[in-house]
Amino acid sequence: MHENINPDVLLELDRVSHFFDDRLVFKNISLKLPRGEVMLLAGPNGAGKTTLVHIMTGLISPTSGTVLSGVPSEKTAYLGHHTFIYPGLSGLENLRFWAGMYRLHKSLEELEDLLALVGLKGFMHENARTFSRGMAQRLSLARVLMLQPDIFFLDEPATGMDAQSRQMLRNEISKARHRGASLVWVSHSLQEDLDQADKVLYLENKKQAFFGLTSDFKDVLQERLH
Amino acid sequence: MTPRPLALMAKDLRLVFADGAGIVQPVLLGLILVFVFSLSTPVGHDVSAQAAAAIFWLATSFAMILVFNTLYSSEGSNQSRIGLLLAPMPIQYIWIGKALAGGVLLLMAQLVFLPAIVVFLGQDEVTAWPMVLGCILLVDWGLVAVGSLLGAMSQGHSARDSLLSVVIFPLLIPVLLAGISMGSYFLGDGSGEDLGSWIGVVLAFNALFTGAALLLFPFIYGEY
Repeated sequence: MHENINPDVLLELDRVSHFFDDRLVFKNISLKLPRGEVMLLAGPNGAGKTTLVHIMTGLISPTSGTVLSGVPSEKTAYLGHHTFIYPGLSGLENLRFWAGMYRLHKSLEELEDLLALVGLKGFMHENARTFSRGMAQRLSLARVLMLQPDIFFLDEPATGMDAQSRQMLRNEISKARHRGASLVWVSHSLQEDLDQADKVLYLENKKQAFFGLTSDFKDVLQERLH
Repeated sequence: MTPRPLALMAKDLRLVFADGAGIVQPVLLGLILVFVFSLSTPVGHDVSAQAAAAIFWLATSFAMILVFNTLYSSEGSNQSRIGLLLAPMPIQYIWIGKALAGGVLLLMAQLVFLPAIVVFLGQDEVTAWPMVLGCILLVDWGLVAVGSLLGAMSQGHSARDSLLSVVIFPLLIPVLLAGISMGSYFLGDGSGEDLGSWIGVVLAFNALFTGAALLLFPFIYGEY
């Protein structure tokens, strides 16, 4: 991962390809993510969406191509299938631990407010082992919001969430976007999430099948349906 | 604000104590070893000081394997390992945090093993307790430096416990030999002429493996 030079572009991928051993996952992915934009990352199962997100976060290195990021790691947040929650700690202790890892000075009141935001204040002293999948995902969302990131990587963030929680997630995404944060959002619910996105990257047949404005993608979808 | 390696250590200790098994299992395993070896001599005969020291460090080594397996597997349940890798800190902090937590747990286990050695193996001539503690801390440093590195290495392998033991024991031979030699002296055997040399061996081992671990850890644990 290299530092970016253009301050208006938070993330840039140039001809990124990736192999797992000798199996090609995808090739020649190129994109730019400007500040304040939401990019929906879609595609069928096995298209390499999660792998691409891991490459974007710097978690894994691409086999070839370059990834340029203008965001320091303390301003990057990832919310994926896995919640990063320690079941043996309470919700509050989990948040406090992750605040410490990011050198964030958060008072008890601030942490309580975050837990209240995701509807977990009443459970904050309970062991996270007792949390349902949806509650765990909401606690994970609180962790991500606590970081006040410039760029969010959301890999199917609504997994396990009920309708009310999904609405809360959309509201928080909208707020983050208004303060200038960018989002990369992996979604399987295209119909539901498409309206939130400025751009769409669609992976299919091991390549970038579409990258462009959401309105153009809708046209492509219509053509395919007919 | 608490330094991050210490925050990691505190989190790990909290998880281990909340669960209980992470400390009870290593202690029980070590105690069983000490007890079984106590049956190897006829009634009324004591185990030699050198054998007692060897049993103590063997129990410690087995306990260490269980301790580091517990510490690193705690990052696997919800893939919090990814979260740690994404956190803005040197990856080596994870190694340091785990090594510190492992050191504390190992020391707690040894606090149980020591009286067990006295009671079950008839070692009642323990001399210079501050020196004994110093020797234990010195050898423990080497053990946890290797243990924390190989604990990370074994993650993701289905047979991680056996892999860890297979890889770890040959590496530990120098520091275990030093620990046994120093231990046998403190248990009242020998003149202690070689004590300085063994301390030198342990210091060299600690420096080598601490440096190697800091260098290698990002390659072992940083690749997701």
